[in-house]
Amino acid sequence: MPEWITIILRSFTLLIILFFMTKWLGKKQISQLNIFEYISGIVLGGIVAINTIDPNTNLVYGLIAMFIWFIVPFAVEFFSLKSKSFRNFSQGKSTVFIQDGKIMEDNLKKEGYSTDDLLEKLRDNNVFLASDVEFAVLEPTGTLSVLPKKENQPLTAKDLGLNPAPEKEPQTVVMDGKVLLEPLANLSLNTNWLETELDKMNISIENVFLGQADNNGQLTVDLYDDKIAVPSPTEVPLLLATMKKCQADLELFALATENSESKQVYEMNSKKLQKAIEMVSPYLGS
Amino acid sequence: MTVGSQVKSCFSSVKSVEASLQLLENKTQDPLAKETFNNVQKIITEVKDDLQKQVIQLSKEEPQYK
Repeated sequence: MPEWITIILRSFTLLIILFFMTKWLGKKQISQLNIFEYISGIVLGGIVAINTIDPNTNLVYGLIAMFIWFIVPFAVEFFSLKSKSFRNFSQGKSTVFIQDGKIMEDNLKKEGYSTDDLLEKLRDNNVFLASDVEFAVLEPTGTLSVLPKKENQPLTAKDLGLNPAPEKEPQTVVMDGKVLLEPLANLSLNTNWLETELDKMNISIENVFLGQADNNGQLTVDLYDDKIAVPSPTEVPLLLATMKKCQADLELFALATENSESKQVYEMNSKKLQKAIEMVSPYLGS
Repeated sequence: MTVGSQVKSCFSSVKSVEASLQLLENKTQDPLAKETFNNVQKIITEVKDDLQKQVIQLSKEEPQYK
């Protein structure tokens, strides 16, 4: 067998084996690998490279070496999942750098972090003043997780005492001019609905590059032809506007009428409508 | 516009609101949103019924201004 055929055959076999090995070793990103997994990855690559380009090496030896370098990280990972103490040993523990707003100098020294390194890591987290931090911990992967003090945390709806409506994820129902049936079914809608909505906007489905529907069944589209103006959904904003208008009308009637009984009816209903607007407005996105 | 027709137009707006709410209630997937839309729709129905009475009363009061 000529050598070049050996090389081709070896390349294919090793490629396939390596593919499955990396698949079984898990889906961690390079940045999340600990040093052990990182090194075994390099060694595996090296073994494959040597065995591929040098036909004189014994393929079986290569496979044995590959197997060892595969099975040990695999076993380590397996036992790490089972036992917390083994995980601490193999992956390392996180180290607290800042607690109760105070920097733990001893822990810094233990991890070999200088003050500059700490400040750099803090700046990575958009913190420029160390005293803004309540708690910071160095993860085993080498990233610093920072919990800012309460007053330095971003404002959330909870802080403002707001009660926003829960929002479900929008579904992509048209992609590249083709209807996607499964997302449509997730919203319990069908193709008839889609056709009607597109007819309302006066566009054909072939022209739709991307179409998405939100939880309220409002369709937003992007067209291939960017010159055509697409109407934005009006149903929901219109509903809220109509409700507000009715409420204002009722108030007006209450002021205008001289019949005290009617006045009372108008006022009561105006209040009811006001309550309804307050109830429904979080769901109508305003 | 006479008062009668103003109230009538408001009445029809309320009817449209009721219908839109029903539509949204049927379309939304979230159970909490469904319940809210349903409750609001009940309030709107009450308002609608009251307004309907007003419309009838107004047309009786001054039948010449329709």
